[in-house]
Amino acid sequence: MAERDKRRPADQDPAANWGITAEVERLASQLAEVREQLAATSEVLAVIGRSASDLEDVLETVVESARRLCGATAGQVFLVDEDRYRFAYGSGLRPDYRELVANNPVVLDRGTLVGRVGLDRQATQITDVLADPDYGLTDAQRVAGYRTILGVPMLLEGEVIGVLSVWRSQVAPFSDHAVEVLTTFAAQAALAVRTVDLMTTLESRTNELERKVTQLEALGAVGQAVSSSLNLTEVLNTIITQAVRLSGSDGGSISEFDEDARAFRLETVCGTSQKAFDDLRRAQIGLDDTFMGKAATLGRPLEITELREAPLDAHLRVLVEHGWRSLVAVPMLREGRIVGAMVIRRRTPGHIPQEIYDLLETFASQSALALGNAQLYRRLERQSAALEIASRHKSEFLASMSHELRTPLNAIIGFSEVLLERMFGELNERQDDYLRDIWSSGKHLLELLNEILDLSKIEAGQMVLNRSEFAVQESLEYCLSMVRERALKRRILLSLEVDPAVGLLDADRLRFRQVVLNLLSNAVKFTPEGGQVDVRASINDQDLVVLVADTGEGVPAEDRERIFDSFQQGTRSSGQVEGTGLGLTLSKRILELHGGRIWVDSEAGQGSTFGFALPVGSGEPTLKPVPQADLISGITPGPDMDPGPTVVVVEDDRRSFDLLRVYLEAAGARVVSARDGEEGLDTVRRLSPAGVILDILLPGIDGWDVLARLKADPDTAAIPVIVVSMLDERGRGFALGAAEYLVKPVGKEQLLAALYRAAAMPEQKHTVVAIDDDPLAIELVKASLEPEGWTVLGAVTGQEGLALIREQQPSAVLLDLLMPGMDGFEVVEALRADPETKSVPVVILTSKSMTPQDKERLQGRITYVARKTEFNLSGLAGLLRWASTSRQSPASESG
Amino acid sequence: MTHVILVVEDNERNLKLLQDVLEYAGYDVRAARTAEDGIALAVKEPPDLVLMDLQLPGIDGMEALRRLRESPRTADIPVVAVTAQAMKQDRERALDAGFDGYLEKPISVRAFPDQVRSFLPDEEVGTE
Repeated sequence: MAERDKRRPADQDPAANWGITAEVERLASQLAEVREQLAATSEVLAVIGRSASDLEDVLETVVESARRLCGATAGQVFLVDEDRYRFAYGSGLRPDYRELVANNPVVLDRGTLVGRVGLDRQATQITDVLADPDYGLTDAQRVAGYRTILGVPMLLEGEVIGVLSVWRSQVAPFSDHAVEVLTTFAAQAALAVRTVDLMTTLESRTNELERKVTQLEALGAVGQAVSSSLNLTEVLNTIITQAVRLSGSDGGSISEFDEDARAFRLETVCGTSQKAFDDLRRAQIGLDDTFMGKAATLGRPLEITELREAPLDAHLRVLVEHGWRSLVAVPMLREGRIVGAMVIRRRTPGHIPQEIYDLLETFASQSALALGNAQLYRRLERQSAALEIASRHKSEFLASMSHELRTPLNAIIGFSEVLLERMFGELNERQDDYLRDIWSSGKHLLELLNEILDLSKIEAGQMVLNRSEFAVQESLEYCLSMVRERALKRRILLSLEVDPAVGLLDADRLRFRQVVLNLLSNAVKFTPEGGQVDVRASINDQDLVVLVADTGEGVPAEDRERIFDSFQQGTRSSGQVEGTGLGLTLSKRILELHGGRIWVDSEAGQGSTFGFALPVGSGEPTLKPVPQADLISGITPGPDMDPGPTVVVVEDDRRSFDLLRVYLEAAGARVVSARDGEEGLDTVRRLSPAGVILDILLPGIDGWDVLARLKADPDTAAIPVIVVSMLDERGRGFALGAAEYLVKPVGKEQLLAALYRAAAMPEQKHTVVAIDDDPLAIELVKASLEPEGWTVLGAVTGQEGLALIREQQPSAVLLDLLMPGMDGFEVVEALRADPETKSVPVVILTSKSMTPQDKERLQGRITYVARKTEFNLSGLAGLLRWASTSRQSPASESG
Repeated sequence: MTHVILVVEDNERNLKLLQDVLEYAGYDVRAARTAEDGIALAVKEPPDLVLMDLQLPGIDGMEALRRLRESPRTADIPVVAVTAQAMKQDRERALDAGFDGYLEKPISVRAFPDQVRSFLPDEEVGTE
């Protein structure tokens, strides 16, 4: 009103005479107004700058200044709150009005000034509210008594965020200037509101951030404790202390859950007296009957806001006794299992803020982790202690078992030896036989016992390898010599073939022998009488590879893996032979200790080949060359040799065929199989073999028919046929023209003898030249051969022998190797160099033990090497007859 | 003069075996089934050699050896362990304890008399 009064005279008297004075007065007055306005504005700005976060301060300054500058009775600010305007600040108001507007937010409609300003977004004046038919706030008007009111919007980026208004108790409209002033203040108030909003948000964000940092720090401390310490108490203590601190609580505890007892056991506490701790420790906190158990079972935090009003259990009762008022129990779970519970307590009743829950759950899961780790660690400790004890028990057990078994074995083996030594008189054959059985069974048990001890030594990591460099060939020869007697007894042919590249091996020599010997003994054990065992050694890359092949029944596929595992003997024998026991397991372990490996190739019924590979080590690969084939005894079917005479075997049974093949091949024959009578006839006609082995019970055409047809055909009639059958019908066989008739089972020697006899051509004149520097030896040969119809021509020197051979063209030559002057080797070389004598069969009969070099010199050039000491002269005739049949095939020049 | 050999062995059958084998080889054999009996016998009539089992009821072989060595009458008698303990460390332990030899069971009947002979003190003289 003052403003208006000051301005009005100037407006009313613009052209007055004393105008200048008036004009000066008016201008001075205006200046004062502007100055006051400026001062007010700068005050508002100063307030905003000073207390940016305190909205009340700012609004007070704005409203007070506006009221004063506009000459208003009162002023107020309403701020937008969703779809309404809420009273925020007022000046010059009566308390009852203030209460009325504070409780009744203004709705956005034309019934109020504030509503109109909000809707129209512009300054609005109602000159007399009583004269305005639309004005609806009659209650407020009655209380406050205003007549003229002016309001302006508080605009922020085009949005109305509030309304600043002033009023007068009389009807006295506000000037345009007043509107301007109010608008300026409204803009400043809007800015202030926004600043305060921003500041508040910022502040709360900062606070939140600070809290997060604190939490993270605490969690970090906990995490570190969990991961770095296996001291469970220390870890849990860190966790509960941090949890209590961060949740603003007074104390807490962590309990571990015992699955067996279905109960919790207090592990650690914080902010709790020793007495309370002791009491809590003693309390039976079961899973099924306590609040803690309930939280754990439900798997979520549970709260009690007033313990004094809650139903008490063993746990809560103690807490109440010690003055606790509220708590949260947080379950500790790991992989769905309850491992414990964390409890946070306050000495005052009330809620724990929801936001703390997340935090507590994090702490609980950390505790669960720590408990899990600790439990795992404890279990491992217990287990390793148990293992240690078990291992000690095992060693003690083995030592004592070994002792306990050795004691009776001593008596068993010892007394059988006493009797076998004939200490107390002669034994009959059967007694001797049985005693040997007892003795060898005892020895076998002893061997097993030693293998068990060796195995347990390996398993306990106590086997130390005693490495040295040694010659592989010598070691293999040694092993063969160890089983030779057994092999000879069962007429099993042993052969050794060592590749020239094989030289020294860096390994434990005794253990190497143990492995080879084990494989060899098994091979001999599982090979039927008359079979064959071949040992081959070669170098593959950096490995020595040793193969031991037998002609036994083979290892079925399902046994090939487990045969190397302890106590897993394959069922490959029909119970006739003792098992391999632990030998293969032990061999495998020994080889593994050397960095090697073992395997078996086998087909049931086809024999087995056990092989192992060992890194050669530091040994030079080749020290001495060794020949391709090494003949221990017997006939020489080397790989590069003349294939020898062909024999057709007509036999439908695979096993029988294999056996016959082994026998025949061992004798140097090339064996061709025919599975039935028809095939047999075809094969014989096609190949014109040196002989036919014929089974009688065949599918299709039977053996009788085959025999009859062969004898009826002029092309095949001369081929000798040896019947080998289950049927004992010799008469019929010979009547049909069989040369020999053998009843199964047939041994190797029996078969070969029959073949030698049958293959001999009766019309041919048999002459043999025997070359030996010992005349007695020639006499021996004469004595055994002449009764068989042979003519024996003796020669005591190599030269003499050569001359005789060229002159007589004998059917075979019998040759000694060691002779003065021209020795046997030279004789052979001379014979093979002469086309005339190139193909005459040569049988070496010598007492010399063959060196690898010797064998190499003779390789491919002779038919047979017989040791004088080993060879039975009575078989010589058959041997020579057999040898002479190989004459038809040209001798090979390989070597 | 025939050598006298004292065999200390608690297992009846093994005692009999050793006795048979040694007697067959021409030794005069005395038998004891416990270390105590063995020591008493040895003191009473010192043998040329003692064959001692290690695991015995009561006093064991090790302790028996110690006592034999303590008594002047038996201190110089060679004592050979004959045992079914087959561990390498057992042999070492026995030899360390002062046994003159260590023979493992089961014995080889054929070789045993020769093995025993090699421990007899006057072997080189050829008293037998």
